[in-house]
Amino acid sequence: MLQPIRILTVDDSASMRALLRHALTGQGFDVVQAEDGVAALEWLAGNEVDVVITDINMPRLDGFGLIEQLRCGSRHRDRPILVLSTESSDEKKLRARAAGATGWIVKPFDPDKLIAAVRRVTH
Amino acid sequence: MNATLPVPGPGGADSTGLAGNRITVLQGQAWVSGRAEDELTTILGSCVATCLFDPVAKVGGMNHFLLSEPPHSHDPAEVDVHYGVYLMEILINDMLRQGASKAQLKAHLYGGANLRAGMAPIGTANAAFARAFLDREHIPLLREDLGGSNARRIEFRPATGRVRCRVVENRLASETKPTPRPARSVGDVELF
Repeated sequence: MLQPIRILTVDDSASMRALLRHALTGQGFDVVQAEDGVAALEWLAGNEVDVVITDINMPRLDGFGLIEQLRCGSRHRDRPILVLSTESSDEKKLRARAAGATGWIVKPFDPDKLIAAVRRVTH
Repeated sequence: MNATLPVPGPGGADSTGLAGNRITVLQGQAWVSGRAEDELTTILGSCVATCLFDPVAKVGGMNHFLLSEPPHSHDPAEVDVHYGVYLMEILINDMLRQGASKAQLKAHLYGGANLRAGMAPIGTANAAFARAFLDREHIPLLREDLGGSNARRIEFRPATGRVRCRVVENRLASETKPTPRPARSVGDVELF
């Protein structure tokens, strides 16, 4: 039996984490959650994941910093990383792209579009 | 920034000479300021206003919303939580940009009345969403004046968190329809 795709979502809002968990587990994904970039890096140090979905505005370590840290080593060089943010400016998108993000999703997210994006970057 | 949510940049809302820096926050808007002379005001019927402030950073903000029922919902007591969380996040993120800290935020909630007997209790559902959001985010709710059948006028000093809430005639609260989600660009995906 195939292992479900494991997704790490990183967002400081408990409400947003609950929405993401509901949308993704309902489609059979294995969902792990972290509340900021530091917590995400700590979890990733000892665990494997197929996709990271991260917010941008977070305390301690924001989404840009998280992406940069993941991309600076070889272990997560090719890991799909999707940004999920209320921001939609070209400047922020360019910054995320330069840091190594795989894609950008605008909040409020549409569950169907989010799931389609996850499937696309994992196949 | 979303066009329906004209949140001002750093330095506060008004430099155009509005008397007393009274800023009216309309449905679908959010406003953030750290200026002591600014007062955010709104009139609420079924709508809910969230007033957040950071007493240490002396920055505050208000949003004003009326969420609709969620798409394809089977529960008439629910509202569009996806859009509600988004509206709250817009307000909080702009406060953080102006120096507030999420751990220091305090909240007041107002509105959520059901002005007309026999109508769907959309005000009650919106108030329940706002309470649940604050509880989940661990933002202390210092004061609330929610529900009932009367319109309210809110005057909020964002830099101090001081709020005045008065009952006003219902005719002063404009006929409100739920704030629709933006028709386009909702959840748009761009792969690089």
